[in-house]
Amino acid sequence: MGVENPAEVAKFIIRSRIADPLFVYSYFSQLPDSNYSKLKYIISSSVTEACNNSVLLLGPRGCGKTAVLELVLEDLLKEHPDMISVVKLNGLLHSDNNCALKEIARQVCMEHQLQFSKMASFDENSKFLLSILRECGLAHKTIVFVLEEFDLFTEGKQRLLYSLLDAMQSVSSQAVVVGVSCRLDADQLLEKRVRSRFSHRKLLFLSSPGEDFQRLAEHILLLPMDSRLPNDFRASFNEKLLNILAGEEFKGVVDQLCYSDSTVSHLLRFLFCAVCHMDLSSGSLSIQNFKSALPSIQRQPKQEALKDCSVLQLYLLVCMKRLEVKEVELCNFNSIMKEYKSIPDSFQTCDNFARNVCLRAFEHLLQRGLVSFQDNRGQGQSTEFRPVKLLISWHELQQGLQSFPSCPVLLHKLMAREG
Amino acid sequence: MPAFAALRQFPSSDPTSETIVAVTPRKTRLRSDSDAAIGSPLRKSPRLCKEGTPHSSPTASIRKCLKTSLNLSGSPQKKQLSEDFVERQNWNPRVDETQRRAANEALHVSTAQMNVVCRENEQNRILDFCKKCIKEEKAGSLYVCGCPGTGKTLSMEKVKVMLADWENEECIQYPDVLPINCTSLANMNDIFSKIIEKNHSGKKRSRSTSSLQQLQNLYSQQTPGMKMILVIADELDYLITRDRAVLHDLFMLTTLPFSKCILLGVANAIDLADRLQDESVLLVLEYLFLICRTTLETLIVACFHPKVVSSLQSKPMVITFCAYSKDQIINILQERLRAVPYTVFQPQALELCARKVAAASGDMRKALAVCRSAIEILIGDSMLSSLDGPEDQHKPAENVSMSNQVRIDHVAAALSKVYKSPVVDTIISLPQHQQIILCSAVKLFRGGKKKDTTLGELNKYYVDVCKSTSIPPVGILELSSMCRVLDDQGILKLGQSRDDKLRRVTLKVDGADIVFALQGVRFFRNCLQ
Repeated sequence: MGVENPAEVAKFIIRSRIADPLFVYSYFSQLPDSNYSKLKYIISSSVTEACNNSVLLLGPRGCGKTAVLELVLEDLLKEHPDMISVVKLNGLLHSDNNCALKEIARQVCMEHQLQFSKMASFDENSKFLLSILRECGLAHKTIVFVLEEFDLFTEGKQRLLYSLLDAMQSVSSQAVVVGVSCRLDADQLLEKRVRSRFSHRKLLFLSSPGEDFQRLAEHILLLPMDSRLPNDFRASFNEKLLNILAGEEFKGVVDQLCYSDSTVSHLLRFLFCAVCHMDLSSGSLSIQNFKSALPSIQRQPKQEALKDCSVLQLYLLVCMKRLEVKEVELCNFNSIMKEYKSIPDSFQTCDNFARNVCLRAFEHLLQRGLVSFQDNRGQGQSTEFRPVKLLISWHELQQGLQSFPSCPVLLHKLMAREG
Repeated sequence: MPAFAALRQFPSSDPTSETIVAVTPRKTRLRSDSDAAIGSPLRKSPRLCKEGTPHSSPTASIRKCLKTSLNLSGSPQKKQLSEDFVERQNWNPRVDETQRRAANEALHVSTAQMNVVCRENEQNRILDFCKKCIKEEKAGSLYVCGCPGTGKTLSMEKVKVMLADWENEECIQYPDVLPINCTSLANMNDIFSKIIEKNHSGKKRSRSTSSLQQLQNLYSQQTPGMKMILVIADELDYLITRDRAVLHDLFMLTTLPFSKCILLGVANAIDLADRLQDESVLLVLEYLFLICRTTLETLIVACFHPKVVSSLQSKPMVITFCAYSKDQIINILQERLRAVPYTVFQPQALELCARKVAAASGDMRKALAVCRSAIEILIGDSMLSSLDGPEDQHKPAENVSMSNQVRIDHVAAALSKVYKSPVVDTIISLPQHQQIILCSAVKLFRGGKKKDTTLGELNKYYVDVCKSTSIPPVGILELSSMCRVLDDQGILKLGQSRDDKLRRVTLKVDGADIVFALQGVRFFRNCLQ
């Protein structure tokens, strides 16, 4: 086959990197005082010193708690092979005590190639757990219990948490309990007995501010040495990229991106979108790619619906808005028509359509979701009499009118009068 | 810090994975090395054995603690403390890792202690009670209560050991000991079946009568040669049901005429025994009232009713483990640190930790966790400073030893990590629009009358705040999803409703916390005035 386009290869490499969370979060492992190093220190000190520990990872969804935990566990498994075994539980699935013990028994049996019996009772499972903790303690093997959605385990009597943390109070066991939760007050939800046995270590995963993101973007987007890429292409790509990332326009784009959501997963989606927009013929990323990725991440569904409206439908929407501003009690098609008819009286225009045309346009508005019926009663009545409400806000309507290609000036005036 | 762990070489361990479930030969554990060190007789401190004083909470703030501890220069107690510490060797955790590990192990919750200090009084009372019951071959019940972390289970273990020693000395037949943790019971009535199994494993379990009835039958008749059984029931609160039947029956077992069961119950609730007694008397009175129909008759009959009389006589003895006071915590920490032949903590640092923990809860586990955390902070600081430059190694030896001990600032940092809530930090790092939402919620609820509102109202305030800074507000859909994210984190609480705009919104975080967190940004400062 012929030589592949290096731009395609580059795109492939970058996209596969973004989709691999272990690679992305390995950036955080290089920082000295990050949560990665703290978590690694806690778990590795329990492994090497044979003591028990418990820690809670807190942070909003999508900020990388589970990914950093996976990274730490993978690195530790490489460093200390055969000395760590991992049991994973999830609060959505295993919050019931019996369920959780059965799952622990199943995972341990699978790891150590033991026979697992589905018919084992609760008593037998708990005895099995205690004996496995004792055996692993004697054999210097640390068990790491990962409890995802930790706040869901705190419902009910918290028996599982109590039995796990109590088993860790004894000398004979060697275990680490890592709880992952998005609720900040997860440790306040614990009962006092369980809270006393929990070691109060909390690692907060706070979202990274702007410059941190620039370095993260560099870590992901800069091309590595690869045999499929010619060196000069790689060097020019990286140079252009560094210029863009350091520029002011990029900072503005990132600021706008972080207004509503600044978690790492949100930023990764943005980067993926930007890379997909890369122009293969030019062979490098440009600031335009980032700018065009922004609206596809921050979609405005109502604006998109407005763009496809006809001018008559826009008139109807503006009339509804005026009725709302005038605080008219009942808003249905008839009252809208009255308002619509009153416009040519005050402003001399010739945009005057018949009633049945307006009704058709109104029904299209209903289907598109810009307008809806107030309630589900009166299904037997015809469309003209049922009260309706507007599903779009003043601000959104104004923005939609401004971006509408051929909006008549009258509409702007009508909006502005009530503005 | 990860480099730290990589430096050490761990003992070569044979592949033990395949021998996990089979009989595992006892490997030489890291702990067995330190066990040998603890085996040497420990020096008894003259300042031990304070009486269990009821917990009084000093309300000193941290600054006050610092002042008082620094002003104690002339007091004899401080002199004794510092004398104690000066005699030992110097601690240098940067150089020698075994020192750090030894300190950590001495302070770990699960490390077994030879002497359990500050609880001698309570242990002796429990021991005397058990001895009396065993000598007289009578049944009895004892209830131990106290907050978590006050040494109840630890004392019970010690009492078991002391009881076994005493029985060996006096050559008395010792009773069967049955330790049960009530959280591990699947069904509450299992506790009775466990008692039967332990005591009378030879007897056949009949299916028709329940274990409780079997026990009651057994204890109502004289059976020669039946051994005493000592039941230690931990976490008794798990047996509480609405009618408290199981708990009541359990304690009633010890009042049957030929009962051989000594019951030691451990729980957190202080008035459990009283509640039980009141409950049982009330039940009997209710029943009698139905029969006698007048209050006077009921009371007269009740005085002679055997169940009431036995209830009043059978109230279990109650021993309360009070929360640890500051001095007790210092004693216990020093006793533990005796196992380490170095000075790890400066005396003021230990005192600060003890004061703060005693004021908060008196929970020993927390004190130990704070101390270990302080050691880690010290090591972290020293690693960072050693990264800076090698000039420290040229410092005079005395300075090095002083700087290697855990100081007040380390302990203060550890305390703040344990007691601080992460709310303020999280709010500071929220994205801008979510901060605007919180700001508008604070403004909405500021009047004090309303505590919750709808999403539509919040949207109006939010749009107003956005307009005042010309930031374009997001639409209602985006607002609702941002509120859901805040709900997930536990900052807001969002209710359910068919219509998105009518969902109820309440703040779960104090408004003052939000104002404090946002005061760094001028816009919010002006907005929230």
